[in-house]
Amino acid sequence: MTQRFLILEDGSSYPGEGFGAGATTTGELVFNTSMLGYQEIVTNQIYHNQIIVFSQPTIGSIGITHDSYESILPTAKGMVVRDVSDISKNRQRSLSLDQFLKQHNIPGISGIDTRHLIRQIQKNGTMKGSIVDVDDDHAFDQLHATVLTNQQVAQVATPVPYPNPNSGYNVVVVDFGLKHGILRQLSRRKCNVTVLPWNTDAQSIISLDPDGVILSTGPGSPLDLPESVLEMIRTIQERIPLFAIGLGHELFALANGAEVTALPVAHHGASHPIRKIITNEIIYALEGQEFVVDGESVDRDRLITTYRDLIDSSIQGLRHRDYPAFSVQFFPDGAPGPNDSVDLFDEFIEIMGTREELHG
Amino acid sequence: MDNEIQKILIIGGGPTEIGHETELDAATLQMIQAFQKLGIRTLLIDNNPFSVALERVQPTNMFIQTVTTENVQRIIEKEHPDAILPTVGGVLAISVVQELQESGVLSDNGVRLLGIPSESMVDVNNPDRINDVLRQIGAPVISSETVGTLDEAVSVATKIGYPVIVKPVAPKLDTNRILCDNENDLINAVTQGFAWSRFSQCLIEQSIVGYKEIEMVAIRDFTGTQVLISSLENIDPIGIHSGDSMVVVPTQTLSNTEYQQLRDMTFAINNKFNFTGVSHIHFALDAQKETFYVTKVTPYNDRGTALAAVATGYPIATVAANLYLNLKLTEIRLPEIYHFRQTAMMEPTVDHVVVRIPIWPFEDVPNADQHLSTVMRSVGSTIGIGRSAEEAILKALRSSQFSPKDELPSMSNLSDSQIISRLIHPLASHILVLLEALRRGYQVDELNELTKVDPFYFYKLRHILDIEDEIKANPMGAKALKDGRYYGFGDGMIARLWRTDIDNVRQLGRDHDVVPTYKGIEPTAAEFLTEATGYYSTFEFENESNRLSDHSALILGRGGNQLGPNASADYFTTSMLRQLRKSGYKTIIMNTNPNAASLVATLTDKQYVDPIQLGDVLNVIEIERPEIIFVPGNRHYLTRELRRRHLHIAVLPPDQEKRSELVNNYAQIGLDLFITKDHIVPIVISDLRSDQGMATTFDQITVMKTPASIDDTQLDKILQHATDYLMNDPRTGLVQMLYTIDHRQPVFAGVRPSRLTTIAFLNKVTGINWVRMLIRQALGEIDEDLISNLPLDIHSDRVAIMRGTFPFKQLQLPSQLGLTTQEVGGRIAFGSNTKTIVDDEADETE
Repeated sequence: MTQRFLILEDGSSYPGEGFGAGATTTGELVFNTSMLGYQEIVTNQIYHNQIIVFSQPTIGSIGITHDSYESILPTAKGMVVRDVSDISKNRQRSLSLDQFLKQHNIPGISGIDTRHLIRQIQKNGTMKGSIVDVDDDHAFDQLHATVLTNQQVAQVATPVPYPNPNSGYNVVVVDFGLKHGILRQLSRRKCNVTVLPWNTDAQSIISLDPDGVILSTGPGSPLDLPESVLEMIRTIQERIPLFAIGLGHELFALANGAEVTALPVAHHGASHPIRKIITNEIIYALEGQEFVVDGESVDRDRLITTYRDLIDSSIQGLRHRDYPAFSVQFFPDGAPGPNDSVDLFDEFIEIMGTREELHG
Repeated sequence: MDNEIQKILIIGGGPTEIGHETELDAATLQMIQAFQKLGIRTLLIDNNPFSVALERVQPTNMFIQTVTTENVQRIIEKEHPDAILPTVGGVLAISVVQELQESGVLSDNGVRLLGIPSESMVDVNNPDRINDVLRQIGAPVISSETVGTLDEAVSVATKIGYPVIVKPVAPKLDTNRILCDNENDLINAVTQGFAWSRFSQCLIEQSIVGYKEIEMVAIRDFTGTQVLISSLENIDPIGIHSGDSMVVVPTQTLSNTEYQQLRDMTFAINNKFNFTGVSHIHFALDAQKETFYVTKVTPYNDRGTALAAVATGYPIATVAANLYLNLKLTEIRLPEIYHFRQTAMMEPTVDHVVVRIPIWPFEDVPNADQHLSTVMRSVGSTIGIGRSAEEAILKALRSSQFSPKDELPSMSNLSDSQIISRLIHPLASHILVLLEALRRGYQVDELNELTKVDPFYFYKLRHILDIEDEIKANPMGAKALKDGRYYGFGDGMIARLWRTDIDNVRQLGRDHDVVPTYKGIEPTAAEFLTEATGYYSTFEFENESNRLSDHSALILGRGGNQLGPNASADYFTTSMLRQLRKSGYKTIIMNTNPNAASLVATLTDKQYVDPIQLGDVLNVIEIERPEIIFVPGNRHYLTRELRRRHLHIAVLPPDQEKRSELVNNYAQIGLDLFITKDHIVPIVISDLRSDQGMATTFDQITVMKTPASIDDTQLDKILQHATDYLMNDPRTGLVQMLYTIDHRQPVFAGVRPSRLTTIAFLNKVTGINWVRMLIRQALGEIDEDLISNLPLDIHSDRVAIMRGTFPFKQLQLPSQLGLTTQEVGGRIAFGSNTKTIVDDEADETE
């Protein structure tokens, strides 16, 4: 084990032990309060450009397993943990978290007072940080000088289309940095999926004649994406059932005239109760968001709020009044997190079925 | 809220025994507080003299009676409660309420069941019926059949294939699953099981020994909204009773998929049975095949729910009380001290690890079978909280394998063949053998194969040994100290490894800034910047605990329950806490027993869950600088060390052994007195007996009965002698003067501090809390007025009997004469008002 440092924009430095890749890394510090699923978290593309601080203190205890990838090529910038285990449990006993991070050039640092960091982030807001070998002035200069890209979606989304064939509904997934949980849920429902790059235009989607379209999760700010994406959404929602998740939800809101604002502190975890307004049912789901749809800005003639977070009152779901289009801010596929809202995929299937009846 | 419920009858847990300790009473206490807050009249039946909850109800609402169907029925018919609460009295309460339901007493009197709907009540603790319902919702259950005769049992077991597990159907007491390897075992188990079952039936099921045991604790409101409070992972596999297993919270070795399956199944089960309040579901997980079974459904408070509450900081019992009255989760505001932004509707997430290690009674009951099996044998437990598994394990070990100087026992004297044998057939304190095996070079895979313990824990134990080696190799090394403390080594352990004094270790820590940082025990993993009231120590960057007050008292708890003082010690501690608050102190408790009432957050201003060892105690003292520190009398080394540092300490509860002066080796009569500088106040005079009649040694005295069977002349002589004797004696506080009767003449047999169990008896008999008097004495609050106004009558003819209870039945031992060191609990009964001597046994309703 080698001593490394986590240094932050505010000038603080925390010594710890390096694991994973030995590279120097810089990213935005976000924390995640999930108690399970470190592999799903670190492979989720929403963490592009970010260093993830885990509140769960024991990380790495079950190694890396084939069914827990949310992307094959993770692009998180680092992991900050209290304690890491170098354990492998897969059939070859060959892949621990440490080895996995080395393969993907992601540095980790352990032995950090992550509870303190989380309290700091809560108090002072999001900060940039670096994992470095030496915490000298040069390292801090580098940290301050680093400008993180805002072209995150382009970095992580597929540049070319690819299929995930099956025998059911023909579904197009527009990839903004999608988590595999979405594909797993569609596979389970036998959907014949085509994943398309984020900047595909509406006409190209329509020409694939899909029964439904999914706007995927992804990293970064929806405001950094070009207006053409919103145009695509407006065209599609009029014609084809649409289900938008995470970043997709934020884009769906923007496309329908709502505003999206940055949260003072990003929220990643599954401990918030969320009310499903129509049934009054309360569910838990993995939330991972830095942006939120501004409730005031929602045009009630166009959008209906369907889900609301009971802790911070944030909008967690929307539905279009005129079209078969709906969205959720949270991740209904779990991975990691509760399955309480996985029936949203069934609802999507049902909507595609209704439309087929109408048109067929 | 349900306004039709104005009066609730709570069925208490009865005497502490193997299977349940103070956690039921602690839950009852919280329920009562919650009900009272809602303006509901709460009746409580219990005969546990150490019940803290009993003291929280008005005397007119208190029924100090044995929990039996007949007694509960009588109370129902006289008091007409609107509802009955069966979920805080363990298995006994469930079985009593089931009988009242079957006989129509509940419906005839219009008494509603809280928590468990009537249609589900018939299923509870009836594994066969439960399995039928579980199959309806597609829950995987183990193949099993109910039998009513030995012949049936043998043929079912042959069909399922040995080994099989035998469980009594609808047991009358907290029983166990018995593992049978052959027909002989089976016949013994089934015979025993028939006797325990209310229906003379047993369930025979396929053995799943070696599977991983996972537990889920959830709460649910009447609308069906649920919250998963916590997962518990048994480190020991199925085959070792979960009460005898080391348990870690939250689960460490489950994937998200496995965990979510169990969470979903927990919710589905609670919905199917329509439980409200708390429920606790056990699962067996086959890690190889990635399948699981539901093994136990417990819709009531137990040690699992108590651990979940302490581990997460979520007040389960308080919330459950509100849920029983049909409040919704979103309508329940949590008590002020929790500072939640929102309501009870939040799924706890924690950023620490909690490990619970049981305490076994084999030192005091050496003739018991010490093998760990499906039969629970432990009598208490302690927890350790840390920010790594190593830290939590070591802290729990340092409390459960208690040694005065905080040193862990060594297993190095075991031979290699003994090690192998104990790996395969575990005995108490299994973890020490696991450590020793690693020390001798056993490989993780090999150990996993032999013990079915997940490799994760062996890696963690091996890491502990690596750190130990590092400490050994670097005497007075700052880095070694830092690593040691970071992973949970106590100052005493480090001092021993370095063969130095603990002060040198502590000085080294100060010199190199290796100082404790306290972290809040709260259910949001720091997502909300709230001030917690519960803390544990670790050695990190930020300390969250600041001095509470310049007028505080630190009370050191008794740690995990052990035979002997057991439940009475925690009763004593909670009484101390109440009086200290009343006397104007901010109270700070240090304790490690997850079942202790004294850890209930509403009873103190601040709680530290850390080993009660010199180093850890000094660390708390350095932060809190309390005005006064209360140290239990059995902690001689700790007392000496604190005194040496000129700290203001009071020794309470008093030392039980050292201050006795016995001139005979037995006694028949005991006179308890309260002694101050200026006064000698007789309290109660009682007969002292063994549980089988006359006691021939002091440690056989486990029964007290008042009034004593002596006449007024003898009483006067005793009072005179006691006063004369004590006048010239330096003792203060509560003492017991001991006498024999020889030719009708009282003969002095000795003097000793009143035992903790005796003090509880005095409290119940006189209605005065003598623990609180002791505290007031320690604080200098006793004056002439107080003493002369005490409503005491040494001549009272009210009959009261208290008997110690013993764990022999549950340890599967033949009945034997119980000793004070073997008491697991106690029961108390009040008799008629005449001074006639009521026969002991006639007084017992059993």
